[in-house]
Amino acid sequence: MAMSKQRGFPRGEGPWPWLTAGSVAISLLMLGALLLLLAVRGLGHFWPAPVTLVELQDGSRFAGMAVKEAPLPGGGGEERLYHTANRDLEGSPWTWVEVATIEAERHPDDLVVLERQRWGAFHGRLMALRGGDDGVEGQRKVGREDALVEGEAAWQSLVARLAELEALRNELARLRDDTILPLASRLADGENATLAAELARAEARLRELQMTMESGEVLLESVDGTRLWQPIEGIVRAQRPNAMSVPDKLAAWGQGVWRFLAEGPRAANSAGGVWPAIFGTVLMVLLMSVLVAPFGVLAAIYLNEVAHQGRMTRLVRIAVRNLAGVPSIVYGVFGLGVFVYGIGGSLDEWFFADTLPSPTFGTGGLLWASLTLALLTLPVVIVATEEGLARIPDHQREGALALGATRLEMLTRVVLPMATPAMLTGMILAVARAAGEVAPLMLVGVAKLAPQVPVDGNFPFLHLERKFMHLGYHIYDTAFHGSDVQAALPLAYATALLLVLVILGLNLTAIFLRHHLRSRHGRLPRH
Amino acid sequence: MRDAFPPSRYRQRLRQGVDRLATALITAGGIGVIVAVLGIGVFLAVEVVPLFWASGVAGTVNIDALWLPQTYAGLDTPQFRWQPAAAMPDETPRYSMAPLAWGTLKAALWALVIAVPLALGAAIHSAMYMPRRLRSRLKPTLELMEALPGVVIGFIAGLVLAPWVERHLAGAFTLVLVMIPGLFAAGMLRARLPRPWRARLTLGWAGLWLMPWLLLLGVAAFELAPWLEARWFDDDLRGWLATRFGLDYASRNALIVGLAMGIAVMPSIYALAEDALSGVPSSLAEGAEALGATRWQALWRVVLPAASPGVLSAVMIGAGRAVGETMIVLMASGNTALMTLSPLEGMRSLAASIAIELPEAAPGGTHYRLLLMAALLLFVFTFLVNTLAEVVRTRLRRRYRRLGGA
Amino acid sequence: MSDLMPPAMAPSGTILAFKREASCLEIEGLCLAYGDKTALRDVTLRVPRHRVTAFIGPSGCGKSTLLRALNRLHDLNEDVVRQGRIRLEGSDIHGPEMDVAQLRRRVGMVFQAPNPFPMSIYDNVAFGLRLQGGLRKRQLDDAVEEALTAAALWEEVKDRLRASAWTLSGGQQQRLVIARTLAVGPEVLLLDEPASALDPISTLKIEELIRNLKASLTLVLVTHNMQQAARVSDYTAFLQQGELVEYGPTDSLFTNPRLARTENYITGRMA
Repeated sequence: MAMSKQRGFPRGEGPWPWLTAGSVAISLLMLGALLLLLAVRGLGHFWPAPVTLVELQDGSRFAGMAVKEAPLPGGGGEERLYHTANRDLEGSPWTWVEVATIEAERHPDDLVVLERQRWGAFHGRLMALRGGDDGVEGQRKVGREDALVEGEAAWQSLVARLAELEALRNELARLRDDTILPLASRLADGENATLAAELARAEARLRELQMTMESGEVLLESVDGTRLWQPIEGIVRAQRPNAMSVPDKLAAWGQGVWRFLAEGPRAANSAGGVWPAIFGTVLMVLLMSVLVAPFGVLAAIYLNEVAHQGRMTRLVRIAVRNLAGVPSIVYGVFGLGVFVYGIGGSLDEWFFADTLPSPTFGTGGLLWASLTLALLTLPVVIVATEEGLARIPDHQREGALALGATRLEMLTRVVLPMATPAMLTGMILAVARAAGEVAPLMLVGVAKLAPQVPVDGNFPFLHLERKFMHLGYHIYDTAFHGSDVQAALPLAYATALLLVLVILGLNLTAIFLRHHLRSRHGRLPRH
Repeated sequence: MRDAFPPSRYRQRLRQGVDRLATALITAGGIGVIVAVLGIGVFLAVEVVPLFWASGVAGTVNIDALWLPQTYAGLDTPQFRWQPAAAMPDETPRYSMAPLAWGTLKAALWALVIAVPLALGAAIHSAMYMPRRLRSRLKPTLELMEALPGVVIGFIAGLVLAPWVERHLAGAFTLVLVMIPGLFAAGMLRARLPRPWRARLTLGWAGLWLMPWLLLLGVAAFELAPWLEARWFDDDLRGWLATRFGLDYASRNALIVGLAMGIAVMPSIYALAEDALSGVPSSLAEGAEALGATRWQALWRVVLPAASPGVLSAVMIGAGRAVGETMIVLMASGNTALMTLSPLEGMRSLAASIAIELPEAAPGGTHYRLLLMAALLLFVFTFLVNTLAEVVRTRLRRRYRRLGGA
Repeated sequence: MSDLMPPAMAPSGTILAFKREASCLEIEGLCLAYGDKTALRDVTLRVPRHRVTAFIGPSGCGKSTLLRALNRLHDLNEDVVRQGRIRLEGSDIHGPEMDVAQLRRRVGMVFQAPNPFPMSIYDNVAFGLRLQGGLRKRQLDDAVEEALTAAALWEEVKDRLRASAWTLSGGQQQRLVIARTLAVGPEVLLLDEPASALDPISTLKIEELIRNLKASLTLVLVTHNMQQAARVSDYTAFLQQGELVEYGPTDSLFTNPRLARTENYITGRMA
């Protein structure tokens, strides 16, 4: 410490404050890195990456996207992982190559990337198309299976066919949901000749649509020369990323994001979208809010306004506060033991005895998950509401009482309106906490795959006993239980990004509320 | 004043009745809700008790069997084993809670090793050195970090961090090594900068401008790593660890879990510790500084002793969170029920075991009840720790009020 | 303390002998304790109708506690133990026939700090009336205007009745609170240091208002400001350590106190 003030650290101060500053910097860096990683990987997945045609020194060729590089296990160079797709031809969609053995890399414009319902993606060339549109808009001849289109024309008609397929799928869904299902349920209620005829007509149309969709296939060739026929119906999306301009890619990116948000998962959760998980999360959180809000506020009012403020109340208050620190998994255990096996089991015995032993309410489901999370977030709401109530000066209450108001009138007309921002803040924090909890859900009703969302057109419309999908669990499942983790990873990133955005958004709203939204009458007057 | 609008007697009675009814409802509802929430502990205890009755479910479970090493057929020495599902048809399941409890504590301990220095450092810096404007931004930012769901942190830790560290073991090691001298160097270099630069790069804002410096350190560490590995570790850190210390490196190990969980619990420790530190009446630190103490001396001699109960309670609450965190351990630990000291091997925690095994365990069976006992342990532990922390914090608040009032 | 009269004897010698018919509130042997802390000891006095009665005394002497006992505000606190009787116009305010809400409507209260509700000026004044219900919009409008006029606030706020009450100045807020209380038509108005949080001009306005109001109601004022008590009250009660020390016409109490304790306090010779 003999250094002069000019050159070294101030006397008695030492270098230690720099460590404290460093811990702030490290924390911020970690937070930033985490968010950046999620954003880049999550959003980058939807950007159409160029396909590289790789030729190795031994003469073999493949087409794929470079995923990552790593040093060779024995040292001396790098190896590179390519996503080469074509699982039906190659067995594995991934290829590791030693970087040194690469002879040439090219990016030909005519390489296509097809996303398929089965076997994952295909990388290669489109050779021909048959049974598609024969070029004349809207007219289709019988025996068109024989029409064979080749080269650039094949690509054009494939794109047209895919757009058409999309329209057909929509029409099919509409026909099924709006015509056939209602007709069928009306028929089930009472026999009716005209209805039956109508239904038969609709079903015929349905079959016709399905036939149209099923027709047509394309001839594909991988870069090493293997050929296969692929039904057009099984193609979800076709791209030629090397030929795409930036606006094209931007449009494709937007479309990709939209599909991710709006579609259901495919291929054991390793492809497709997360719509059912979004829906399940939101629905579960909504139900939880409906359950937790009244009870949380009631308990807070009791603790703060009604209960005798003695030692007992102080103890209960501390206990409730501490329950916010009890691990969420413990709530999950309680939910499983009491709600699912206890209450659910009894409900099954009383009302659903005919379906036993397969359980209705005696297994995890939406209702039990919402209840469990409601219990989990109850302390959050109680504490926040109580803080809001405690901040209201007593002379406001006395003012109301002195005018002859009963306690209820004082509460509803003066106290609760003033505590509204605090209650809202508590609710939002509760929702943010609930949206991110996964562990208790694993015990009380989350499902790996539940394409059937718990709301539909059948009575009672909201199916509380059904299992549901959840964004958080979806991350866990795709990342740890998929058959092809490497393929599912980008989707897990995207899902994680979505979840984080939702939760950060909710928390920011709560912070904003806490700081800016006081009563419209402004701040509490200070005395 | 004349009695302008005498209220009707009927309405008066109605109001009274409604009020009584509402008060009764609020009381009933309030007590009901509180009982329901507090009932969690009761439920767990009631479900666990039959385990220890002589005529209990299995009768084979006693406290010794759960916590002491057991001799199993085919093994020479008594050991701890958690194998709830028998591997062979003729084997019996092995229930020893010890490895699970050990795994839980090990994970929590490493998490605290990471989180406590970071959180306390950040809390000290923002309470003592940071300008008010920056502090009012930093605090909510770090509190936002607290809201990051465990499943996301666990996902990053298990699938990105763990393989990355495994591949760049030497680099990661060098980074840790370089960090502290690097921060000292930053302070030293700054003191040698020309005055206008020094005026801009103040200690108060160092939390921000040190970030690019740290990135630079990171790059340097990775440049240095191969050289260091060749020089000290026979060109292969992993092999060196194995031959020299007999440490096996598991990709998902206690250090990875500790780092991930450290990030998860750091914000809550930070927030509480910062509250405790900045709650110390400023007259105290100012008094010390008026006597010629530096900021750092004032911190160590006056502020930290005054705030120490609050800081302690912050650490306790962090420990409570780390013990109960499920998803991070589940995803980043490998879930092997080992009982080793090595930070480079995996572990299985109570919470993770519950999450994995409970859905498959038959309700009412031994396995089911044992898992409920694990939950009860977690409940009791966190409840006690939090109560203690709360009591300490209440005392501290009272003390500040006295100090501030004096 | 040795030169003072023993506490038990202090009140009896100082009570003014109002006739029953002239007194609005009768307090008889009132004792009150918060848990084990005694706040009032055997207080007996009668408050005359249509007069201003002031309670004075050092901080913590129990004057506010006594005031709050008059409209049963202590009911909120379960730790409070009470003995003795308080009669409003002859009927026991703790009697089974007496409804608290009804009592508080008849005995209004204004607090130390202005406490308008977070609502518009109009809604504040209409608050008590709306609780009773059964009023038409027109009647409500008239009652609000009448109350605001009586509280000398109408001219200042008549153009912004819908504005938030929290936008008013402190003095205006306090007059609004008085108007709010007047609107329900009380017989007694309790004022707990109503001007202590206000500036001198607002204080004068409030004092003038108090003098004007005694034509229509009975006022009880708690104040730590002896000049204020001397300026506005007709009768003054001096309390110390929970006991009523001396009670009499303001003029004679201030100019010619009977007890040494009272004199010491009035002349400021007491801590």
